[in-house]
Amino acid sequence: MKPVLEVAGLCCRLGSRTVLRNIGFSLGEGQAVALVGANGAGKSTLLWAILGLLPSDGEVRIFGRPRSRDGLARLGVVFQNPEDQLFMPSLEQDLTLPLLNRGEAPGPAREKALEALEAVGLAGYAGTPAQRLSLGQRKRAAIASVLVSSPSLLILDEPTAELDPRSVRQLTALLNRLPVARLIASHHLEFLQATTTRALLLSEGAIAADGPSGSVLGDEGLLAGAGLI
Amino acid sequence: MILRRLAPVLLFAAVLFLMQWFSGRGLTALPFLTVAVFLAVVLLGRWIPWQSLGARVRPGSRLFSLVLFLHITRHFVSILGQETTRVLQARALCLRRRWGPGAFRSLAWALAGILGRSLVRAERFYAAQLLRGLGE
Ligand SMILES: Nc1ncnc2c1ncn2[C@@H]1O[C@H](COP(=O)(O)OP(=O)(O)OP(=O)(O)O)[C@@H](O)[C@H]1O
Ligand SMILES: [Mg+2]
Repeated sequence: MKPVLEVAGLCCRLGSRTVLRNIGFSLGEGQAVALVGANGAGKSTLLWAILGLLPSDGEVRIFGRPRSRDGLARLGVVFQNPEDQLFMPSLEQDLTLPLLNRGEAPGPAREKALEALEAVGLAGYAGTPAQRLSLGQRKRAAIASVLVSSPSLLILDEPTAELDPRSVRQLTALLNRLPVARLIASHHLEFLQATTTRALLLSEGAIAADGPSGSVLGDEGLLAGAGLI
Repeated sequence: MILRRLAPVLLFAAVLFLMQWFSGRGLTALPFLTVAVFLAVVLLGRWIPWQSLGARVRPGSRLFSLVLFLHITRHFVSILGQETTRVLQARALCLRRRWGPGAFRSLAWALAGILGRSLVRAERFYAAQLLRGLGE
């Protein structure tokens, strides 16, 4: 299995606090990995450090190479806050932006955008700006906006935080249909059980466990020790 | 970092400047003042011992209102700064070619969006303070 993401010796300090300690793991093609941990454990920080959006020490390789603009453009990243990535005057323009930017023709780009919106249950909202959607709808639009460029690795930060039960079910089904590698940060254990096969447990900025989702997410002692339940 | 945070303020000041320019009613120092106040607040933010500031002042006094005002301003500047950073980073992540098609348009919409969001934030924040019994 070719690695799509390799992290070694990653440390991150924010202000005077050490938020990540010596994080190391790697993620292979098509692997679905959960990043689980209590509030403040460092999940978002880890994702940001992997993307190079925060200063950190250590090594990160994406698709076998050091991080680069090309490598990053093959990722699909959904931020914890969907408003950060939907800023164009309509959802359609939000979704077609990455496609047009890399030189695709407007016609096919538009088709892909509509398809992605339909996949997250937002058909009919193509002309609407993100500000006019509910928070959960915005989150779904943000997910569509990364699926549209067929990323080779999905990085999702709390994808279910604002979703109602049906949307969670739809997202679960959608993710399980995609053969693409993914790293999902969340504390929604049920959702992680259903969408991942391996789990990394983060506790106070360090990896406390790394194993099959079934056993890590089902181990109450382990989760309690990490302050999660 | 500080340049990124300055971007929306500079845009705001530039729009103000252009509006004054085209309205033909003469220019004022307001655009420059905007930038100057922003820089002053950022610098003050580094030097003022914020944690201990509130505790020392008697609630209800003149000084208390000033401290409250400073805290609120600082709160806003930091939110605006963080949101600007995140939006620009999200935009950069989805552009494979930095200057490719859509680059300028998306930059303009991203910055305009930040201004819009900061207004919404301001209203929400004000409403929350009213509910808590602060504010007039
Ligand atoms: N700018 C900052 N300066 C200092 N510490 C910070 C900063 N931002 C975050 N932290 C700290 O880093 C730690 C990790 O935060 P992070 O946002 O990564 O947590 P998380 O696991 O994503 O939590 P959540 O489940 O709430 O999203 C927290 O304890 C937080 O206090
Ligand atoms: Mg988080």
